[in-house]
Amino acid sequence: MDVIAYLIKILPARPAFAHCDIPCGIYDPQAAQLAAKTVLKMVQKINEEPLPENGRPEVIKESVVRYENAVGRYVFTKEAHAEICKKEILILWTDYFKTEHLEKFPDLHELVWKTAKLCSANKRAVDEAKANELIASVDKIAEIFNQTKK
Amino acid sequence: MMIPITRYKVYGNSMLSTLKPGQDVLVFTWAYIFSKPKVGDLVVIKNQGKEMVKRIQKCDGRQFFVMGDNKQVCRCCGKKESTDSRSFGPVDISEIIGKVIFVR
Repeated sequence: MDVIAYLIKILPARPAFAHCDIPCGIYDPQAAQLAAKTVLKMVQKINEEPLPENGRPEVIKESVVRYENAVGRYVFTKEAHAEICKKEILILWTDYFKTEHLEKFPDLHELVWKTAKLCSANKRAVDEAKANELIASVDKIAEIFNQTKK
Repeated sequence: MMIPITRYKVYGNSMLSTLKPGQDVLVFTWAYIFSKPKVGDLVVIKNQGKEMVKRIQKCDGRQFFVMGDNKQVCRCCGKKESTDSRSFGPVDISEIIGKVIFVR
């Protein structure tokens, strides 16, 4: 047995903390970008969904159920992805971006704030313009993120 | 008999990839009696009652700036980086317990 192994064996171990933490290190605006694109797709699908047909009562009922089910699913997905987008942006804001980033990109605070508001606006509305605005806004944050990585 | 070597077990990930959690390190506690810590030294420091293993990044007289080797930022715990001189400031030489001389 060598000296080192012997010392390790006989000496009691004290804890040496190497904090932080759980550095998953996974920060990526792509999740927010994908969520924003999903919001737009859902808005388009809601707008494109054919309205229930007229006709005999049983046909009308079937058609209404189909329509409401389809639109309900699109609305649910739009809502969920607007929330994902907001969460992902806020994670970047609170956990990734640092003071030096804000100094370099002074509009970042307002951009993030407006983007988070746009996520909520897209939950409330079925509006392609707003969905496109959200995509553009998230892309701007992604661009800043990418610049901080250079 | 008192020997100037202390064994520590590493807890946490901030020293990845140099030190993995669970590894044993031997620390020479007399290392800085006749010489000063140098940039790049792996050291165990005591800060706010907690013993931590870090690397010396900068020396300024008796003050030493220490950092973890793992530069990744953490999403899951909400902290921005390793808990080190970026959060608690430089450490005084008196807070350096010793130098890591062996890792297993």
